[in-house]
Amino acid sequence: MLQELWSHGSATVRELLADGKIHQAYTTVMTTMDRLYKKGLLDRVAEGRAFRYTPRHTAEELQRGTALESIRQLLGSGDPSSLPLSYLVEALGTHDAQLLDELQRLVERKRRELQGGELKNRSKPREQS
Amino acid sequence: MFALRGIAVSLTCFVLLYCLLSALVAIIWRPLKLLHVAQQSVADLLFELRILPLLASVVITFALVVPSFQRLEPRSIDEGMGIMPLTLGVWALLLIAYGCFSVIAAEIRSTRVVTRWLEGARPLKDNAGSLVAFQSRREAPPLTLVGVRKPRVVVSECTVALLSHDELCIALKHELQHMKSHDNLKKLIFRCCPFPGMAKLESAWSEASELAADDAAVSNQSDAVDLAAALVKLSRLAPVEAVPVCTVSFVAGSLSRRVEFLLAWDEASKARRVRIRTWFVVPLVVAASLLVAVAYGPVLAFTHEVTEWLRW
Repeated sequence: MLQELWSHGSATVRELLADGKIHQAYTTVMTTMDRLYKKGLLDRVAEGRAFRYTPRHTAEELQRGTALESIRQLLGSGDPSSLPLSYLVEALGTHDAQLLDELQRLVERKRRELQGGELKNRSKPREQS
Repeated sequence: MFALRGIAVSLTCFVLLYCLLSALVAIIWRPLKLLHVAQQSVADLLFELRILPLLASVVITFALVVPSFQRLEPRSIDEGMGIMPLTLGVWALLLIAYGCFSVIAAEIRSTRVVTRWLEGARPLKDNAGSLVAFQSRREAPPLTLVGVRKPRVVVSECTVALLSHDELCIALKHELQHMKSHDNLKKLIFRCCPFPGMAKLESAWSEASELAADDAAVSNQSDAVDLAAALVKLSRLAPVEAVPVCTVSFVAGSLSRRVEFLLAWDEASKARRVRIRTWFVVPLVVAASLLVAVAYGPVLAFTHEVTEWLRW
């Protein structure tokens, strides 16, 4: 579809299908164009009840960008958790608030139990004496 | 041509053994997770199993395949190179190159990330044993052990502000245990032996090594509660995201499992936990080596026979 758009310059879904080079259903092409727009690969302007789509990048720019992105991902700023680094808490940002609240309550309860136990141990010798 | 054929056959054997053993490991490792032994033993076993395919294939290639080719292969210059050793040889070279590239890329990325975290960092006052800790001024993860040869700990300013003195000390002790276990080096070694389907094994090793570091860091119940409190507090530092329902139990499982483990921790249960000593492997290796040494000739002949059919 991008190839077709590059050859047209800009087109609506109906114009792309009119060429006969794309054999998908109208809704399939429309959905794909919408996804490409949302991924930032296309620009669009309303034209009546449809949209006219224009490629945001040329074929060369897109290929260069893809290659650079691949290299950046390989060498650059990917997910730090995959690096040979040891984190105290891994998978940060994936814990939900409710779970953390529940764990916090458990920790506080255990801490109170321990403190209560210590107080009892301290008071026992006094009682005995 | 003889040398080229030898290299191709050796690489072919190496890659076939490596893939076969890796596939086997990827299938059979799961029961190890269920072992009722100390988490350090689980982590050690998982690590050994993970690197076994690479070690075994390198040892077999250099101890058997290369000598069998050198000694038993007639040095005829007429024999051409088959398509299979050529293809698999190239595949092996690509695998080795990918492994080396992964290690180098990880090192470059780590250095870059750590340099950014350490910009303007200052040494931390609260320290734990032989650990060198820095308080980062930049946006850094709460508490991270960095480096393989010269390990250091990077602590974010938020962590210092959020944790109490006791909590910070026990968290640093946890990182000290990672340093003693050379966990960063192990992570780097994993990258030397890439194989699809090993991610879950590595994730299980990671979880076991975290639990092992927790277990080794604490020496009484108060320490255990402090470490659990530090874990929960630091988990809150990151923005909380909505997680799809089907992934909550798995992703959050690690944190809740660690906290539950720490809250149930006591000296008696630590003493009861069985530690599998891996020295039992030593007599096995010695026996296998002796057996191969005694029957080296026939073993080489057998290896040569096996490698013969790889040459078409």
